[in-house]
Amino acid sequence: MSKYIYLTCNPEALVASMLPPEAFGLYLSTGTKKRNKGQAIFFEIDPDKAGSVIDHDSLNKRCVAKEDGSPKSSVYLSVYKVLEMIPLAALKSLYLTTDHGIVLELKRSDYDKLKEPKNELHLYQELCPVTPMVASSLAPSVFMKKLTDGSIPIVLPKLLFVELKLGELAVNPLGGSSENLPYPNIGHLRDCLEIIRGEYEKHMKTVNRIFTGELLYRTIATGFYIGAGDEMVFYAYPRMKDLEKMNYNFFRAI
Amino acid sequence: MISTIFWIVPISALFALLFAWIFYKSMKMQDEGTDKMKEIAEYVREGAMAYLKSQYTVVGKIFIILVILLSILAYMGVQNPFVPVAFLTGGIFSGLCGYLGMKTATFASNRTAWAASKSLNKGLQVALRSGAVMGLVVVGFALLDIAAWFIFLDKVVFSPEHMVTGLNWLGLTFVNPGIDEHQKFVEITATMITFGMGASTQALFARVGGGIFTKAADVGADLVGKVEAGIPEDDPRNPATIADNVGDNVGDVAGMGADLYESYAGSILATAALGAALPAIAGQSDNQLKAIIAPMLVSAIGILLSIAGVYMVRTKESASPKSLLRALLLGTGGSSALILVVLAIMAQADWITWGVFGAAVSGLVAGVIIGQATEYYTSDGYKPTQGISKQSQTGPATVIIEGMAVGMFSTWLPVMTIVAGIIAAYAFAGGFQNFAMGVYGIGFASVGMLSTLGVTLATDAFGPIADNAGGNAEMSDLPKEVRERTDALDGLGNTTAATGKGFAIGSAALTALALVAAYMEEVKLWLGRLADKSVDGYKQIGDILFYHSQVPANVQAGQQAVEVTQAGVNDFVQAYNLSLFNPILLAGLFIGSMMCFVFVAMAMKAVGRNAGRMVDEVRRQFREIPGIMEGKGRPEYAKCVAIATKGAQKEMVMPALMAIIVPVTTGIIFGVPGVVGLLVGGMTTGFTLASMLNNSGGAWDNAKKYIERGNFGGKKSDCHKASIVGDTVGDPFKDTCGPSMNILIKLMSMVAVVMAGVTVAWSIFG
Repeated sequence: MSKYIYLTCNPEALVASMLPPEAFGLYLSTGTKKRNKGQAIFFEIDPDKAGSVIDHDSLNKRCVAKEDGSPKSSVYLSVYKVLEMIPLAALKSLYLTTDHGIVLELKRSDYDKLKEPKNELHLYQELCPVTPMVASSLAPSVFMKKLTDGSIPIVLPKLLFVELKLGELAVNPLGGSSENLPYPNIGHLRDCLEIIRGEYEKHMKTVNRIFTGELLYRTIATGFYIGAGDEMVFYAYPRMKDLEKMNYNFFRAI
Repeated sequence: MISTIFWIVPISALFALLFAWIFYKSMKMQDEGTDKMKEIAEYVREGAMAYLKSQYTVVGKIFIILVILLSILAYMGVQNPFVPVAFLTGGIFSGLCGYLGMKTATFASNRTAWAASKSLNKGLQVALRSGAVMGLVVVGFALLDIAAWFIFLDKVVFSPEHMVTGLNWLGLTFVNPGIDEHQKFVEITATMITFGMGASTQALFARVGGGIFTKAADVGADLVGKVEAGIPEDDPRNPATIADNVGDNVGDVAGMGADLYESYAGSILATAALGAALPAIAGQSDNQLKAIIAPMLVSAIGILLSIAGVYMVRTKESASPKSLLRALLLGTGGSSALILVVLAIMAQADWITWGVFGAAVSGLVAGVIIGQATEYYTSDGYKPTQGISKQSQTGPATVIIEGMAVGMFSTWLPVMTIVAGIIAAYAFAGGFQNFAMGVYGIGFASVGMLSTLGVTLATDAFGPIADNAGGNAEMSDLPKEVRERTDALDGLGNTTAATGKGFAIGSAALTALALVAAYMEEVKLWLGRLADKSVDGYKQIGDILFYHSQVPANVQAGQQAVEVTQAGVNDFVQAYNLSLFNPILLAGLFIGSMMCFVFVAMAMKAVGRNAGRMVDEVRRQFREIPGIMEGKGRPEYAKCVAIATKGAQKEMVMPALMAIIVPVTTGIIFGVPGVVGLLVGGMTTGFTLASMLNNSGGAWDNAKKYIERGNFGGKKSDCHKASIVGDTVGDPFKDTCGPSMNILIKLMSMVAVVMAGVTVAWSIFG
C-alpha cells in the first residue's frame, strides 16, 4: 500500500496516511465511523522534497496497515510550526473538503503579479499559522511580503491565506451593494474597508480575530496563497461555472 | 342520433385506459438500470404499497360505516337508495386510480434515471408517459364510471316500464311511478352526482394522509439526516430517505390524482345535473339530453386530445430547461387549443350554445391565468420570491413576514381571475337573462378547464417521478451527467407542479360553485319526494307550499302553492330566505369560513406530531445501528415508512370526519340556508386560503433555492439559514394544508348534495 504525507491546516500538522487524497479528505471530514462532519484543508507533500522534516524511520514503523489489512488512516508525525518547516517546493496539490467529505483538488498555478488589480481593496482570510480575517489595500503578493519579510514588528515565518470576494465593496466600501456577501456584521466590514481606504499609512485592518473553522468556499475570489517574502505559491480557485464542470459533486455541496 | 353519439363517452374512456396500459407496458419494457437502482426502487415501491394498503384499510373501514349509515337513511326515506352503492363505486374507482398511479410511478423512477443516463429526451419520455398513466386512468375511470351509471340508470332502472309502474326493491323506492322523460333525466343526473361523494371522501383521505406522511418523512430526513448527521440529500445511509421518496409519491401522485379525479367527475356530474334541470328546455327531450351529454362529450374528446398531447411532447437531446418547458407546454397548450376547436364545432352543430362555448373558454383562460399567477408568485425568476430571499438578510422573522405577505397578496390574482371567470361564464351562457343557463355555463367553465386533464395530470405526476429518479440516481452513485439531467427534469417538474396546484384550486372553486347550484337542484328534488310522501301532499317552506303530484287544497292567505318541478331560483330564495340578512345563513357563512382555518390547524398540528415521531425514530437508528454512517449497517427504511404511515392514518381521520360531519349537522340544525351559507363561506375562504398557503409555501421554498444558487451569500450563510426556517414553515402550507383545501370545499359541497334529503326533511331551524 502506498504512503502519503499531508500537511493539514487545522490543526497545523504533518500527517502520514495510507489513504489517497480523496479518501483522506473524507476521513478528515467525517471520521472513521462517519459520525463526524467538518471541513478540512490540506496539502499533499512530496516526501522527496521535504528535506529532513520527515522522520522516515518513524513513518515506516508507525504507518502500517491495520491487523485486519485495512489501510492506516492517519499517523501524526508532528504538530505546531510545521508550515514554516516545509519547503514550498514540497507542496503538491491543495485539497479542500466539504462537511460531508467531498474533495476538490487545486493544482499549483502560475501567478502574474503584474496583473494584480490596482486601487482595489481586498479581504483575506488567513488560515495558517494564524487565522484572523484581514481587510487590506495590498494586493496578495504585497500582503504576503508585508507579513513575512520582517519589515513590520509582527512577522510570520510563512503564511497561508485565501482571498475572499468583496464585490462592490472593493471599490466602494460604504455605498457598494453587499447583497450577495454572506459575511456577518457587514457594517463592521464596511468600516474596516473605509478605514484602510482613507488612511494612507494603514494598509491592513483586522475584521475578525477568530476564524470559526468554516470557510464558505463559494466566497473565494482568486484562490489560495502560501509563501514567505518574495516566494509565493498560488492555487487558483475556479470560477463557479468552471467548478460545475470540473467537480459537480463539490459544486452541488457548496 | 344523440344516443349514438353518447357512445363516444365510454369508448373514449376505454381508449384512455387502453393507452394507459400501453404507456405502462412501454415503461415496464425500459431497462431498470443497475442492481443498486433496482434495489432502491424496490424499497420505495414496497413503502408506497405498504402505505396504500394501510390507508385503504382505514378508509375501507370508514367507508363501510358510512355505507351502513347511508343505507339506514335510505330506508328511512331521506336518502336516494342508490347513494350507498354510488358512494362505494366513486371511492373504489378513485382508490384504484391512486393505486395504479403509484404503482406506475414507483416502477418508473429507476427506469427514468436509467433512461436519463442515455439522453435527456429519453428520460423525459419515460417520466412523462409514466405520468400519463396516472392522467389517463383518472380520466378513463372517471368517465367510465359516469358512462356506466348513465347507461345503467337510463336503460335498466328508468326503463319505459318502470317509469310507468315505478320500481321498488328490498323495500326501497328506486323509481316513482308516472314520471315523465324530463323528470327521468333530472333523477338520473341527481343520482349520478352522489358517486362524487365517494370520490371526494377518498380524495380527502389521500390528500390529508399523503400530505401528513410526506412532510413527516421530509422533516425526519432533513432535520436529522442533513442537519444533525450531516449527510447529503437522498443519501442511502439516511433511514428516512426511502420514506421521503415514498412521500413524494403518496402526496403528489396519489393525492393529486384523487383530488383531480374528484374535480373532473364532480364538474361533469354537476354540469350534467344542471343541464338536466334547465327550465328553458323543459319538454324538449332532445335538447335536455344534449345538455346532459355535452359535458361528458367534451371530456371524452378531451381524452383523445390528451393522448395526442402526450405524443406532442418531445425534445432535442441537448435541450435546455427552457426548451424542456416549451416541449411540455406544446403538449398541454396544444391539446387545450384543440379542445376549443372541438367546442366550436359542437356549438356550430347546435350541441351547445355559443354562450356555453364562451363559458368554457372562460374556464380554460381562467385556468391558464391562475397557473401563470402561481408561477409568478412562487418562481425565483420573479420579484415576489426574490423579495423573500432579500428579507433573509435581516433574519428568519422578516422571511416569515415577507412570505406571509407575498402569499396573502398573491391571492388577488387567482381570486380576481376566478371572479372574472365566473361572471364571464355566467354572462356568456346568458345567466343575466336566465339564471339556470348561467350556472350551467359556470359548470361548463370547469368542464372546459378540466377537459384535457389527461395531459395536464401527466405533466403533474411527471414531477414526483423525476424527483424520485434524481433520488435514485443519487443513491445509486450514477455519473454526474445523469444527475444533471434528472435535476433538469426535476426543475421542470417543480414548475409544472406549481401550475398544477393553481389548476387544481381553480377547478375546485368552479366545481364547488357548480355543486352549490346542483345542491339547490337536489333540494328541489327532495322537496318533490317529501311532498309526495306527506299526508297533505305538499312540503311547506316559509310561505310557499311545494307540491308535486297533487295541488294543495288548503292554501291560505299570504301563502303560495308552487309545483316543485316548475319552481325557480327565486321561489327557493323566498321560501328559505336565502338572504344575507337571514342570521341563519350568516351563521352558516361564519361556520364555513371557520372550518377552513380549523381544518388547516388540525392538518398542521398533525404534521408536527408525525414529524416528531419520525425525528425520534431516525435519531434512534443513527444511535443504535452499528456502522450506519459508514454504509456498513443497513438502515431500517421500512420502520420509518411504517411510522410515517401509522401516524398519517391516525392523524387524517379527525379532519376528514369533521369535513363530513359539519355539513350534515349544519343541515340538521340550520337547514338549507345554513348549508348554503356554509358552502359559500367554505368555498370563498377555502379558495383564498388555499391560494395563500400554496403560494407562500412555494415562494418560501424557491426563496431558499434562490439563495442556494449563490445569491445573498449562498449556502450556509446567515441568509440561507433564515430561508431554511421559511421553507420549513412553508412545507406543511404547500404540501399538506393548501392542497387539502381543494378537497375540503368540494367534499363539503358533495356531502351537502348527498345529504340534501336529510336537511330538507329534518332541519330544526332552517
